[in-house]
Amino acid sequence: MEMLVVVSDLSYRYPDGTAALNGVSFAVAAGERVALLGPTGSGKSTLLQHLNGLLPATAGSVAIAGITVVPSTLRDVRRRVGLVFQDPNDQLFLPTLLEDVAFAPLNDGVPAHEAAHLARETLAELGLAGVEHRAAHHLSGGERRLAALATVLVSRPAVLVLDEPTGDLDARSRRRLVGLLLRREETLLVATHDLGIAESLCRRGVVLHEGRVVADAALGDLLVDRALLERYGLAAPLE
Amino acid sequence: MAHIPDGFLSGTVMVGTAIASGAALAVAARRSRRDLAEREAPILGAVTAFVFASQMLNFPIGAGTSVHLLGGVLVGAIVGPWSGMLVLFAVLLVQALLFQDGGIASLGANTLNLSIISVGAGVLLYRWFLALVGVGDRRRVGAAAVAAFLSTVLVGGAVAVELAASGTIPIKPALVVVGGGHILVGVVEAVLTGAILATLLRVRPELVTVSAGARPVSRPLALGVAGVTALLAMAAGYVASTRPDVLEAAASRLGLAQQESVGATPFGDYGAPASGAWAAALIGVVVVFGLGWVVVRLLARGRLRA
Amino acid sequence: MSFRHVDQYAAVVSPVTRTVPTARLLGTVTLAAGSAALPFGAWMPLAVLFLAVLLIARAARVPARQLFIRTTGPFVLVFLASAGLLVLVPGEPLFTLGVLKVSSQGLERFAFVLGRASVALSAAVILVSTTSFPELLHAFRELRLPHVVTASLGVGYRLLYILVDELERLQRAARSRNAGTGSTTRRRLLVGITAAGLSRAFSRGERTHRAMLARGYAGDVPALFSQSWDRRSTLALVMLVLLVGIVLGGAHILS
Ligand SMILES: Nc1ncnc2c1ncn2[C@@H]1O[C@H](COP(=O)(O)OP(=O)(O)OP(=O)(O)O)[C@@H](O)[C@H]1O
Ligand SMILES: [Mg+2]
Repeated sequence: MEMLVVVSDLSYRYPDGTAALNGVSFAVAAGERVALLGPTGSGKSTLLQHLNGLLPATAGSVAIAGITVVPSTLRDVRRRVGLVFQDPNDQLFLPTLLEDVAFAPLNDGVPAHEAAHLARETLAELGLAGVEHRAAHHLSGGERRLAALATVLVSRPAVLVLDEPTGDLDARSRRRLVGLLLRREETLLVATHDLGIAESLCRRGVVLHEGRVVADAALGDLLVDRALLERYGLAAPLE
Repeated sequence: MAHIPDGFLSGTVMVGTAIASGAALAVAARRSRRDLAEREAPILGAVTAFVFASQMLNFPIGAGTSVHLLGGVLVGAIVGPWSGMLVLFAVLLVQALLFQDGGIASLGANTLNLSIISVGAGVLLYRWFLALVGVGDRRRVGAAAVAAFLSTVLVGGAVAVELAASGTIPIKPALVVVGGGHILVGVVEAVLTGAILATLLRVRPELVTVSAGARPVSRPLALGVAGVTALLAMAAGYVASTRPDVLEAAASRLGLAQQESVGATPFGDYGAPASGAWAAALIGVVVVFGLGWVVVRLLARGRLRA
Repeated sequence: MSFRHVDQYAAVVSPVTRTVPTARLLGTVTLAAGSAALPFGAWMPLAVLFLAVLLIARAARVPARQLFIRTTGPFVLVFLASAGLLVLVPGEPLFTLGVLKVSSQGLERFAFVLGRASVALSAAVILVSTTSFPELLHAFRELRLPHVVTASLGVGYRLLYILVDELERLQRAARSRNAGTGSTTRRRLLVGITAAGLSRAFSRGERTHRAMLARGYAGDVPALFSQSWDRRSTLALVMLVLLVGIVLGGAHILS
């Protein structure tokens, strides 16, 4: 099978010396939906930023659709990988939603009226038609999540990478988000410590711990392995 | 009254200050791009938002009055003088249009005072002091605090001159009331600038120490400038003390003193106590410089590490 | 001043909102500058401009109540600032307040400054009541303000809301931790919060920067909207400029 995302022996050390990733390897096939599980501080966000070339690998490499991530390929890589950050406020930085969503196409050189059209279409797909001229601080938390998603979906990325997409959502918004994501075709990589979300979205799980992959298996098997979940802080020990 | 509202300035002053500010901003726009490259929008956006937010926090200074941070030296020390001017201009622009804080027609004057002079003179002073006292976190904080104080007083002086040139208030009371008021504002500005910079140096030192576009001022140059300033101050002191009317003559030529003042003001004369004008001028300069030096040194000892 | 005013424009359609935002902005500047440039004592021309502003407010469907309320706050500040004129302007003493002598010239100048300020303030309130922040930003772009200014305002607008939220949270947290209420405590608290605010603003700015890079940012925040001037806007602006010009010219000839 064609591998869309290939991470090989990736290590990363923050400038302050924190070794956040220590030789991570895994691959994701086109069309697959993978959950990246791991306790707080295990390196999930760090790993995701490598997929988009936001952090340069200290050792090892990342390839997207056969393109190795290096400074000269960043443009191509970023067009293929849609990264949604942990905090939607980081992603929605312009005065209106429409401008936020049109930001990526405009950077890609799409003419303004076309970019606006694309942005409107994407917002409508996510059920956000009618609020496109609002500022993000006038939206509910759930709408803000969806809007952040729209800012990357608009470029039709091959891989959708979500960091903790359900952090502050109530049950209904969560269900709505899951429903939306299940209907999409993009390859999906979701970092989360919410096992419920992982289960409803993905078939496969990769468990990260202290910057290493400690398990990579079918999610169904992972979720019944009580000892593993407890060992890596993904479930509280039973009384 | 740091932000001059509409209604206080004459047409000539509004146009003159607007042209001066526009020219300075044009230069700043060209220079700032080079300093920050593509980091500019998000980082400057963050600083703009910060200046806005901080100007909503009022610091009580007693007697029911409160002042807020102006931020010229603080912002200039972090993002460099050119970007700093543009950031403060952006803030003033929106404050004038959306908050009616500072007039729309007086935007030129307010930009000149609170962006060009406050940041430009403030950063010059800051770098100059830094070259005089040497490197180190505490000295940095001290230099910034003193520069913040002086630049605020300069802003007060500029406001006074603009009001007088507009014929709104005669120059002497304007200097005493507006300029004098800014001494108090300057003290708060110094404390805030120092404290914020000290905190920033503790949590995010790289933001302050690698400030954009900073070319270190060499020590000999700094000392030279100090010497020339002292000489100029002495000369001015001498002139003022021997011929008190010179100041007024100059003022009236500039159109500043269109009306005679009401009675004596503290700016009346620089009368020498005993041994002649020169001695008075010299003492004045030495005292001012000595005080400045001591303050920088004292602050450097670390009283301000909030 | 509350920053939440920024978003208090009303989505009312009126002859004023049908002009392009740039024309609205320039019109406001014309009115403010025109009234500010009136020579002292030109009461009649001032009255004409004031009337013009009221008519525009009516055309813009800004309710009189709102106009009044929104100008009051800034007006009080102008009032306080100009109170100094009462005693600082020399002239024949009218009456004395303790040691302060109020001159008749001072009184007239005080009143005139307030009059000029009211026109400018009302014009500004009409602008914010009809124009959203994004529209203003387009106007700034069209007026060729430096890209640094428009881009930092564009990003700063959202960050301001996020930052104020964070500052409010910091303030609450600090209050709940220390019971002291003295003004020294309060000052120290404010200094701490301001300092924390700056480092938060920076972290936020850097995270936003990464989010921008992830979407192909290369140094320019491209503008999505462009507006085309229509004849209506040009006509309205020209008429306003003419009116103000005539009033101003008349005032200077008369005085
Ligand atoms: N900018 C940074 N500088 C230094 N160390 C960092 C930085 N960001 C993260 N780290 C460290 O790297 C490690 C991995 O962090 P990361 O944010 O990737 O974890 P995470 O799995 O996403 O956690 P969470 O579930 O809380 O989001 C942690 O030990 C963290 O402290
Ligand atoms: Mg994370």
